[in-house]
Amino acid sequence: MRDDPIAQVLDDLLKLDDILACMVARRNMISVMPSDEGFKPEVNQIWDNIHRAMDDVFGVIGAYSQIGLGEMEFRLQGYEVLFYVFPDTENALVAIVPALANKGLLEVELENARREILKIMTNPNQTSDSKKKDDEVYVTA
Amino acid sequence: MNLEVEAALGMSRKWNAREAGREVAETAIKNLTLPPDFFLLFSTIHYEKYGGFQEFLNGVWDILPKKTPLIGGTVPGFINNYGCFSRGTSALAVSCPSMDVVVGVGRNTKRNPHRAAKRCTEMIQNGLKESPYKNKFLLNFISGPVMPSIPGLGQKKYIRSGFISKFAIQALNLSQVLVQKGLAREDEVFEETVKQLPDYQMILGTSMDDYRGMKNYQFFNDEVLTNSVVNLGLATDLNLDVHTTHGMKETDQNFTITKLGAGNHAICKIDGKPAVPELLRLLDWPEGFLNEETMLHTILYYPISLKRNGRAVPVVMPLIMKDYIIVPCIIDDGKVSILTVSGKDLINAVKENLQYFDRIQPEFGLFSTCVTILQTLGHRTNIVQEELCKYFKDKSFLLFYSAGEGTYSQTEDMTYANMSFNTAVFGHRN
Repeated sequence: MRDDPIAQVLDDLLKLDDILACMVARRNMISVMPSDEGFKPEVNQIWDNIHRAMDDVFGVIGAYSQIGLGEMEFRLQGYEVLFYVFPDTENALVAIVPALANKGLLEVELENARREILKIMTNPNQTSDSKKKDDEVYVTA
Repeated sequence: MNLEVEAALGMSRKWNAREAGREVAETAIKNLTLPPDFFLLFSTIHYEKYGGFQEFLNGVWDILPKKTPLIGGTVPGFINNYGCFSRGTSALAVSCPSMDVVVGVGRNTKRNPHRAAKRCTEMIQNGLKESPYKNKFLLNFISGPVMPSIPGLGQKKYIRSGFISKFAIQALNLSQVLVQKGLAREDEVFEETVKQLPDYQMILGTSMDDYRGMKNYQFFNDEVLTNSVVNLGLATDLNLDVHTTHGMKETDQNFTITKLGAGNHAICKIDGKPAVPELLRLLDWPEGFLNEETMLHTILYYPISLKRNGRAVPVVMPLIMKDYIIVPCIIDDGKVSILTVSGKDLINAVKENLQYFDRIQPEFGLFSTCVTILQTLGHRTNIVQEELCKYFKDKSFLLFYSAGEGTYSQTEDMTYANMSFNTAVFGHRN
């Protein structure tokens, strides 16, 4: 897990103060978690409810991702859960943030992370060197 | 005649401050064949927790040639040829044989903006007075707003009840003068700068953190500063132009400011009535709708068009104190319109702005844009980056986000605004 380049992208996201949790997931499955210490502790008390709600949302993602569903989000109590769908798949980058976080700034980095993960998924051999990640500059398509 | 201009972008997404400083300088320098004539450096606030900004600058100076003029500071995000980012650092390094460059600094901008502006502009004037080049430009980069620190309450943007609220305006003034926490007063610095250097074309920007408004830093050569203005002044034979657009439209909701306070920074009465309750009534918002948590997500999306010396000044309303609306700049009383803007309007403002520069073949570009645009567009900010890439193609550009921005030229006079898009393009006229 430590050498998983996707986990390293998630590690970077989790270092942002308002990202309480992030993962690559699909319905009933979390595919990739951050490699370091897991989610931030404030998420623990609400995780079960959020996890159940996520699975329901993934039902919608599964139904519409093939026709261009890009993002979804919901608010539960004091948290927002953001889904950045990988095109034409039933998988998404999922992040949990406080409900009144500065979402615009976070969205920029979530989009960067989605693009980086997509690059890794489509070119797995080019990112097998974990040290190389630190030297990469993010380039948009 | 084409002049041999080289402009290069540096960037780093490393977390460690020293390593990021080294990388942002390395990645810029490696794309120049000559040492840079100046180095503009912007970073997000994150390095404060991962080594600190002095260590960050030390990393830059590990690589940058000594005595390279350097200014910059912390910003909530930036856009460059590589993409859009709200974490990291980016720099624009330019080398041009027909360019003279000088940097300047003025301190204590929140306490005495006029003196800070004068000190800073003196350095620019003295440094460029012998320059033979006719086209002059100034980047006016000023410490941005910081939430005022009110005794008994701490740093707040919404204060309406309680004992302290009765003295809110006095507390704001004290906070501003004693601890320099409060309004940036960047409009006053900018006005004085324009007065001192009327033959310069200018862009105004302000430094910020990650939109929390708790702290911000400026860079001046190898120093990390607070509450300062840093200027990059240059004279060149390159053609250059500046322009502002914003995309906001007037609604049919108007009111008249009938009383101002706090040095004309506070709207005290609207149509003869206390400002905040009357504003809530006009917007059809119940009492209690606005609070510390909801301010950022509500009232900042209802900009208003104010007036200053006959100029339209579209701004957001960042602070509520008792029944007063605090605005980010000095204003005149009179008629005000509530404005509206959509994401589409913001994108169109970018396109309209770039069309203004159709007759310049760009060598590099610099932009100052409002952080509320970043907050509004979120991940769709990439649309802005795509428009900039279409215009600049393989030439370097750097956009930084601000809280208070504008431009000045002798042909278009001064523009100060929030939620605006401000551009300086350097190149050759077609």
